[in-house]
Amino acid sequence: MNDATEFGDPISTFFAELGKAGHVPTFERNSATMRFDVEDDGGRIGERWHVTVRGGDVAISRRNASADAVVRIPRPYLEALVTGRINATAAYLRGLLTCAGSTAALIMFQRCLPGPPGSTGRVAPISSAAVMAERSAA
Amino acid sequence: MNGSLVQILEGNTFVVSDDRGDIEALANDPTGLFSYDTRFLSRWVLTVNGERLTALSTDDLQYFQARFFLVPGTGTVYVNATMTVIRQREVADGFHEELRVLNHSDEPVTLRIRIDAASDFADLFEVKDALQKQGTYQTRVIDGNLVLGYRRETYVRETWICSSQPADVDETGLQFSVTIPAHGEWATELDVVASDGGRHTLTDGRRVRTDMARGLEKWLSRAPHLRCDWEPLEQIYRRCLTDLAALRFSTLTMPGRSLPAAGLPWFMTIFGRDSIFTSLQALPFVPELAATTLRALAERQGTRIDDFRDEDPGRIMHEMRYGELTAFEERPHSPYYGTADATPLFVVLLDEYERWTGDTKLVRDLEQAARAALAWIDQYADLQGNGYISYQRRNPETGLENQCWKDSWDSISYRNGDLPGFPRATCELQGYAYDAKVRAARLARQVWHDESFADQLQKEAASLKRRFNRDFWVADGEYFAVALDCDGRQVDSLTSNIGHLLWSGIVEVSKARTVARHLMSPRLYSGWGVRTLAEGEARYNPIGYHTGAVWPFDNSFIAWGLRRYGFREEAAAIAAGVLEAAEVFAGRLPEAFGGYPRSLTRYPVEYPTACSPQAWSTGAPLLLLRTALGLEPHDDHLLIDPALPKRIGHLELLDVPGRWRRMDAFGRGRIDTNRFTAR
Repeated sequence: MNDATEFGDPISTFFAELGKAGHVPTFERNSATMRFDVEDDGGRIGERWHVTVRGGDVAISRRNASADAVVRIPRPYLEALVTGRINATAAYLRGLLTCAGSTAALIMFQRCLPGPPGSTGRVAPISSAAVMAERSAA
Repeated sequence: MNGSLVQILEGNTFVVSDDRGDIEALANDPTGLFSYDTRFLSRWVLTVNGERLTALSTDDLQYFQARFFLVPGTGTVYVNATMTVIRQREVADGFHEELRVLNHSDEPVTLRIRIDAASDFADLFEVKDALQKQGTYQTRVIDGNLVLGYRRETYVRETWICSSQPADVDETGLQFSVTIPAHGEWATELDVVASDGGRHTLTDGRRVRTDMARGLEKWLSRAPHLRCDWEPLEQIYRRCLTDLAALRFSTLTMPGRSLPAAGLPWFMTIFGRDSIFTSLQALPFVPELAATTLRALAERQGTRIDDFRDEDPGRIMHEMRYGELTAFEERPHSPYYGTADATPLFVVLLDEYERWTGDTKLVRDLEQAARAALAWIDQYADLQGNGYISYQRRNPETGLENQCWKDSWDSISYRNGDLPGFPRATCELQGYAYDAKVRAARLARQVWHDESFADQLQKEAASLKRRFNRDFWVADGEYFAVALDCDGRQVDSLTSNIGHLLWSGIVEVSKARTVARHLMSPRLYSGWGVRTLAEGEARYNPIGYHTGAVWPFDNSFIAWGLRRYGFREEAAAIAAGVLEAAEVFAGRLPEAFGGYPRSLTRYPVEYPTACSPQAWSTGAPLLLLRTALGLEPHDDHLLIDPALPKRIGHLELLDVPGRWRRMDAFGRGRIDTNRFTAR
């Protein structure tokens, strides 16, 4: 089993930070439990993360306890999720993960995942002349 | 394709077939069985002894059910047919089809009845854009069922086909060799189930359709009852409620609760803007749609910066899709956030919903979401740092260029037809932002008990209103510019957007009369409704989607705005024009119709590619009823102040639901609208 503070592991780091935050405003007035069953290379469950959300307060453990939603996911995909390299909803539709139980819990949980690493939120303005030129080219 | 298309649906599952019930989809043609934005059947063809059939008649029994009466042969000479084939089809998690063959002769007949089945598993986006598939197909026969499959890596979609009567199943279909006695009958039940490769549940078709029929009856009986001297209005009202029932959509996270999807067939999914506008229109009639819309949108509210999806923290989503291209992040719809109006409108709907229903629990549950939405307006939407909401896509390949309701490329233009650069700050967005702040101030005071937040919002709203009336006012035209461009310059064409400004309340009273006069002027008002763009502007075209066509949805909000500022006659004229158009379309208003002057065409001309039924067109007559009756919640009472067109005569709307439980509204048409509509 991995140590939650293991240096350099994005999954451990992600859950450690989420647990440290204690209260997540985007989860306010929401309550749900989730368990991530993480598959190793051989398809066996080598690692578990249990997330409890009570009215926006978050607690993380490694317990193999029951949960409203049980997500089964290969380790590389979970790593991609918690670093924003893949989108949780897309991954669900694509079959990269399975979710047994409450889909609502999964949808709630994905709100605390980061955006793609390259996203800046910025874009250069486009002039009217450029828009007109593009249109006449089309 | 033989004859016209027949479409039936339930939620986001729908079937589009020809009038025989057959499906023979071409790559980019919208026929087939669709579910979750994926085509699960692209071929479904019935033959008897190798021969195709001909439709005698086709009935859309309900929105989820159709019946096809067929005879063998494809010629016109079927008078001597001694056999009838009846297909009855209901949509559920796929569809259920009852196939009956009746032998009318006094001899037994031996028949080879065959159904060819196939699927291309196209994503709706691929159907629209004719794209190539990247995965592989596999067809199997399992326990007498035909299983059509598609796989691309871990993405699996399957169509399970099974028959209640034994069939010879091969990889291209099902065949029945039967002998039917003289004057006898043969029947089988076919189930087609859409699956994601995991558990596939073969639902009990009979139970499903009974539930659906009962659901529709209950839905109709729970809505207020309408009686009117002008009979077409009763028909229009019933059509609207039935279509609204058909447009209901349940998300994966809230099964059993529904919100309005945007339209059929391409738009059976959550759209932030469309679902909010339709929920607003339907509030006095079916308030529960608004509650589900608000919860579903809050669940999906943006929380991070994602340029591909145009997502920001607090932003309300634009469109959700479930198909293969979304799954592989080749399209950004998981969901896509490129809309600038849904976020302020989310707050507007939350307040309006509470005013009608008194459901303060939802307002408390969504406090965080509403605060995040308000923060988005100031922190993320002010792209130019000038205090206005602007939009510019950060995904140039598959994002949306125009992130307001007029979303086509040429919808926003200067008088001379030039297109402005980006970012663009369209005027109605500022109105929605103003309204959101004013309404949130009320919620902050009354429900969240945060006086200082309420004061702050009110101050911001007042300042926004002052600046807006200065910066957007086109002095030489005496109306509001459609937008400010990326240099802060006015985009100076005259558009229907000024009507939304009245609705939001951002217009200073001293300017309101001039705005109303423009809306009802011959340049904007066609006699059927207000055009999207005024006659005389360079890009005006009576059949231009957002450059001249008349949109019923747009007009319903304009009428609400006119009433808000006390223009009773003008609002009644808008209601009269749109409802008379609805009469021509047998109660089902199209998305848009031509902006030709009414005297020129006599009948409204349907916009060529519009989808129908479309949710906010379906909602338009409902909102027009509300505005014409002057229904307005005030504390625990429903105020009624009718300003009805004369033609409507006596109107009763009984059992209007709300925080007053149920109230009746009565009115008599006294306003002569001819001076506006006779154009």
